[in-house]
Amino acid sequence: MRISLAGARRFRMRRAKWSLGRLCAACLLPLLFFTPSIRAQEKPSEYDVKAAYLFTFGKFVTWPPAVKERATEPFTICILGQDPFKGALDAIVSQGRIAGLPAATQRLSKLDPDTIARCRVIFISSSEEKQLEQILASLGRAQILTVSDIAGFSRRGGMIEFVLDQDKVRFTVNLAAARSAGLVLSSELLKVALTVREDGRHGE
Amino acid sequence: MSAGNQAVGKRISGVLASLRQWILPLAALTLIFAPPSVAQATGKVHAQSLAGLSLEQLGNVEVTTASKEPEELWQTPAAVYVLTQQDIRRSGATSIPEALRLVPGVEVARIDSGHWAVGIRGFGSTFSKSVLVLIDGRSVYTPLFAGVYWDVQNVLLDDVERIEVIRGPGGTIWGANAVNGIINIITKSATQTHGALVSAGGGSVDQGTGAARYGGTLGRNLNYRFYGLGFTRGPEFHSDQRNFDDWRAGQAGFRTDWTSRGSNDFTAEGDMYRGEVGGGTSVGIYQPPSQMVLEANAEVAGGNVMGNWRHRFGDNSDFRFQGYYDRTSRLTPQLGEKRDTFDLDFLYHLGLGARQDLLLGAGARWSPDAITQTIPTLDIAPHQETDKIYSWFGQDKIALVADKLWLTLGSKFEHNNYTGFEAQPDARLLFTPVPHQAFWIAATRAVRTPSRLDRDLLLTDFLGAPPPTYLRVVGSSDFDSEHLVGTEIGYRGVIGRNFFLDITGFRNSYDDLYGYGTASVFLEPSPAPAHLVFQLPLANALEGDTEGVEVAPNWKVSNWWELRGSYSFLHLVVSDQRGFTDALNTASDNGSSPHHEAGLQSLFDLPRKIELDLTYRYVSALPAQAVRAYQTGDVRLGWKPAPRLELSIVGRNLLQPEHEEFGGDPGPLVGIKRSVYAQITWTEPEQQP
Repeated sequence: MRISLAGARRFRMRRAKWSLGRLCAACLLPLLFFTPSIRAQEKPSEYDVKAAYLFTFGKFVTWPPAVKERATEPFTICILGQDPFKGALDAIVSQGRIAGLPAATQRLSKLDPDTIARCRVIFISSSEEKQLEQILASLGRAQILTVSDIAGFSRRGGMIEFVLDQDKVRFTVNLAAARSAGLVLSSELLKVALTVREDGRHGE
Repeated sequence: MSAGNQAVGKRISGVLASLRQWILPLAALTLIFAPPSVAQATGKVHAQSLAGLSLEQLGNVEVTTASKEPEELWQTPAAVYVLTQQDIRRSGATSIPEALRLVPGVEVARIDSGHWAVGIRGFGSTFSKSVLVLIDGRSVYTPLFAGVYWDVQNVLLDDVERIEVIRGPGGTIWGANAVNGIINIITKSATQTHGALVSAGGGSVDQGTGAARYGGTLGRNLNYRFYGLGFTRGPEFHSDQRNFDDWRAGQAGFRTDWTSRGSNDFTAEGDMYRGEVGGGTSVGIYQPPSQMVLEANAEVAGGNVMGNWRHRFGDNSDFRFQGYYDRTSRLTPQLGEKRDTFDLDFLYHLGLGARQDLLLGAGARWSPDAITQTIPTLDIAPHQETDKIYSWFGQDKIALVADKLWLTLGSKFEHNNYTGFEAQPDARLLFTPVPHQAFWIAATRAVRTPSRLDRDLLLTDFLGAPPPTYLRVVGSSDFDSEHLVGTEIGYRGVIGRNFFLDITGFRNSYDDLYGYGTASVFLEPSPAPAHLVFQLPLANALEGDTEGVEVAPNWKVSNWWELRGSYSFLHLVVSDQRGFTDALNTASDNGSSPHHEAGLQSLFDLPRKIELDLTYRYVSALPAQAVRAYQTGDVRLGWKPAPRLELSIVGRNLLQPEHEEFGGDPGPLVGIKRSVYAQITWTEPEQQP
């Protein structure tokens, strides 16, 4: 009885090994077929899409007249802190115009009043999470569209917060924050937003 | 064949074998190393082509994310593993326990179709104690045996945002029963489930599943969803043809999320379910003196409603108030249990300057039950009892060095109706020298308070005749809490650009574990015929030590390929406490947790919206369950032929026709079958007004 059981066990183990080999082969075979076309990867990275958003937002925001008058400057998108875009933002911006202006990017390591005056849009990198309250306070009512993917950004007083939703990049809007900076967001932008927060910070 | 020929033959087959060994890895390696340069170039191409899209189109582009690890993870000095919606979907799991197989340090063993033994860092069993399971903050463990009925936790997996698994004692915040770990199931906010979803599936064991969900908004800030699901599942493999473990259930529910004036969030949610879970139990009979196997369905039903209010006072302070009512009803051939649970929890969070973060909480739970005795040999007496728990806790996270070194100190104080006051202190140190590199250590004391079974059980099994002799296990009124003192050390970090590593080591020391006390023998005249009883009282008879290591690497090989591994080592020794000899429970505890568990998962994003996901896992032997070591694998192929349509086909446990994972049912071990399952899902986004 015992012997036959052991025999059966050995037999089973051999079968398991064989089917493991077969499984591996079966799984890797389709891979070999896919190899050539695999290189043309299908999905862009998260930050490719975020860069495209940053570029596109400009078309849906109206800046106050004072900003528009400085129309000789390029339309500058600033990145505060570590740049997560790996060149994607530059690649887009180098080719395009926003609101009739040539577009440019600028990287900032800290906020100083002279340089931020040039920014139309500022992306606050997640590397700045710890200082976020300070940054938003020192931006004050500067007429700059603030965008970030720091969690809770729109709740903490930022204007547009990127949110990942089932592998898609969406955004939430804090309308009051934009308003207090004198920016008007178009209804099209609000319609696409995941949520729109009407109040400001702290329920003001 | 001459000896020389044989040697040559051997050498050739050796070469062939090593070729076989090397060719596949080499093929895989070429795949890994060929594409990066191309990928970088295409990154820019992607970005430029994306610039032409509208906002709406951008919102529908599927992306690969750099790191799935949420930011909070870097701030958590505990062994946390997060299963995202994506992970759950790509695992091909159709139930929560199956999805948990991906988590290192968690032992998931399927007993039969609707029953699992889920343990964390050892001590998994049908009646796994000491693991706390929460669904959106609602505790789903039953105070009856301090474990979880997995057969009624049928969450709509599409609606799960993430499952956070915390291994190790988490008593401070979470309270009693969070001794070996916490499984925290978090469903999506109703803001994330607008539109419609319909899915249907079928297969060899998961015979039929169907689900539908609809969500939307009322006004700008009130979001809602409704869902319904149902499934029928066939039996697993029974070598004796007693296919008793078929399983059917239906569930429906809702969730609403309302944001008011930005500083208040309200969530209300609820579910109702009904099901039939096939099972087998071996029970003692007095007349004629014998043991009999009952095979019948457990009739399960229940429902819950829950409300949650979060209020923010500015940036550094908020509170959360939560209440729920949960009703469960379970009628099996051997016992009936109805339970109503009322729970209130309050949590207050306050940042004190830049250096301190204070968390204060209080909770009350009131859980009356009603037991129905259906056979003379199993009872829980008294039939009605109300479990009452009151708890308070405080925790302070202090930045010793700004942004680099934090000390967290806290304790929970709990009063329960069995053992009175219990304190569960905890100290943790977190060091993050640079972003995305974290080291932590922790020391914790946790308790598992007595359950109804520990105190009030009366279970009688027939041993033999003549004379008719029975074994009776009885709860005892002096059964005390089980205690654990645990120390842990951990590292998590991103290495290079694409490699994430999580390593944890732990040592747990248990006292007063569940076991049998000193036996007594007596003659019992009734019920007739007069019989001999060996009586074993439940007692805090055992003590034990566990040590282990868990490693979870995650390698984002490229934009279209991710590799994930997990390995868990566990050394567990349980022995008699002074004054006790309990060979039965020591053997069962020592031999029911795997010493080694390993898993490897490969996720491919192929062209034409095809996903190919391969999972391999190995679990070492469980001598006390007579379960041999096994290795098996799953394959999932997903395809999105249209933006709203997803098709998937999943092959499970493919390496053998069936394999055993755990004992528990009467008769021979139930084999978990190789199975195939296909599903179609249609999602309809919300119509823009």
